[in-house]
Amino acid sequence: MAKIIVITSGKGGVGKTTTSASFAVGLASRGYKTAVIDFDIGLRNLDLIMGCERRVVYDFVNVIRNEANLNQALIRDKHIRDLFILPASQTRDKDALTLEGVSTVLEELSKTFDYIVCDSPAGIERGAQLAMYFADSAIVVTNPEVSSVRDSDRMLGMLSSKTKRAEEGRDPLTEHLLLTRYSPKRVARGDMLSLSDVNEILAIPLLGVIPESQAVLRASNSGDPVILDKESDAGQAYLDAVARFLGENVPHRFIEEKGNWLKRLLRFKEKEIS
Amino acid sequence: MITSSARVEKACLQFKASFLPITVLQITCYDWEGIEQQLLDTVHNAPPFFINLPVIIDLDKIKTLGTLNFIKLKEILLTNKMTLIGIRGGSDEQHLAAAMVGLPILIAGKSSAPEAVQQPKQKEDSAVRLTKLVTTPIRSGMQVYAKESDLIVTAAVSQGAELLADGNIHIYGPLRGRVLAGVQGNLQSRIFCRALDAELVSIAGYYLTKEDMLQSPTGDGMRQIYLENEQIRIEIL
Repeated sequence: MAKIIVITSGKGGVGKTTTSASFAVGLASRGYKTAVIDFDIGLRNLDLIMGCERRVVYDFVNVIRNEANLNQALIRDKHIRDLFILPASQTRDKDALTLEGVSTVLEELSKTFDYIVCDSPAGIERGAQLAMYFADSAIVVTNPEVSSVRDSDRMLGMLSSKTKRAEEGRDPLTEHLLLTRYSPKRVARGDMLSLSDVNEILAIPLLGVIPESQAVLRASNSGDPVILDKESDAGQAYLDAVARFLGENVPHRFIEEKGNWLKRLLRFKEKEIS
Repeated sequence: MITSSARVEKACLQFKASFLPITVLQITCYDWEGIEQQLLDTVHNAPPFFINLPVIIDLDKIKTLGTLNFIKLKEILLTNKMTLIGIRGGSDEQHLAAAMVGLPILIAGKSSAPEAVQQPKQKEDSAVRLTKLVTTPIRSGMQVYAKESDLIVTAAVSQGAELLADGNIHIYGPLRGRVLAGVQGNLQSRIFCRALDAELVSIAGYYLTKEDMLQSPTGDGMRQIYLENEQIRIEIL
């Protein structure tokens, strides 16, 4: 039985697709057979981030409508043999997804895969609800900014009530917070919410902090998920997050401003005095 | 809920919802001499209390009887300076008799008769059942309503979440959402919380927004939010 992970956030543009791509690559490169599904029907993006847009023939909606079988629609990743992508349809909208259709596809994938990563669309409507409905784990992607935090909070509410696990009264799905586009410098200046601010509101276990990084945009444009850029801070942060997701004990990085030990010491002193 | 605005430029009247205490005179047995005697005795104990006291006659307990002598009852209350508003409860026959002497018939509130009889036995039981308890975080967009009961929340209440109860509300986690106690109009209901960072607090329709609460007392300790003279008060316990 595969473990189904939903990457969700509520708000758009916070890094769901970037996270889905990097997570799928991270899991697959550790030898787990992984499928990543783009639930954002009508706004197909995952194939671009994964760099397989030129090989899309059939998509998720084709499979749901029995216009193609799953093996025809799954695209094997160019880097990792154990990774497959199920792209979204660009020509339909989210109403083309049905509960039975999604259920059938996930069941079919569950037979042969270890992990299924569902890249949720933004919003709280049908597409997002279907992406989370069958999930065993949820990674809530949040930017350190008030509207993103509030939307994530809303998603957490839905995760605890509108999933199959909740409806059947089984153990709730595991929730993980992934804080993306984090800039300790801007936190120190006070124009960004700090990790503890976000934690206080959402109060779920922290999977990782992905620093704001030039590497992310570069990776998106080149079609190679940022986790493959092992030199970059964002790439390393994703590697850490995947390791933590698999139960390894990896200390958190990229939370403090780099190399500024004197400043940190001063801040520590200030705290002590107050 | 509290005001209704008139569309005409110069408003001549305004309908307002208002609450005022009314005394209910419950007649439990129809023994005219007994009623008269007991009433006079009670009034003589504290005459000033009864002056202009608005009174409703409750007939729920003597529904089975025929008509009451409303003329005499009205007379005796008026001579003791009470203001008789009308009757509530009772049978159709009693209603007719009351209407004959010009007494309005008010819609009966919930009868307290069965409660009074069963109270000693069921009190503990119902207290357990009557409080709604929530132990998981209440996230943005979620709404929890405790109908005809109190509400206790032991977890966080996020911004954009809403708590409603017909009774009191207690919150032991961080409070950032909206809290509305006594939504059916119970002016006595209160809100208790630890850290007050709510978007809105309301008691029986009276409310304060976050902006209104900027002046509220700061410091450690439980907060109590209650209604006093149509004003919401926040105090540290």
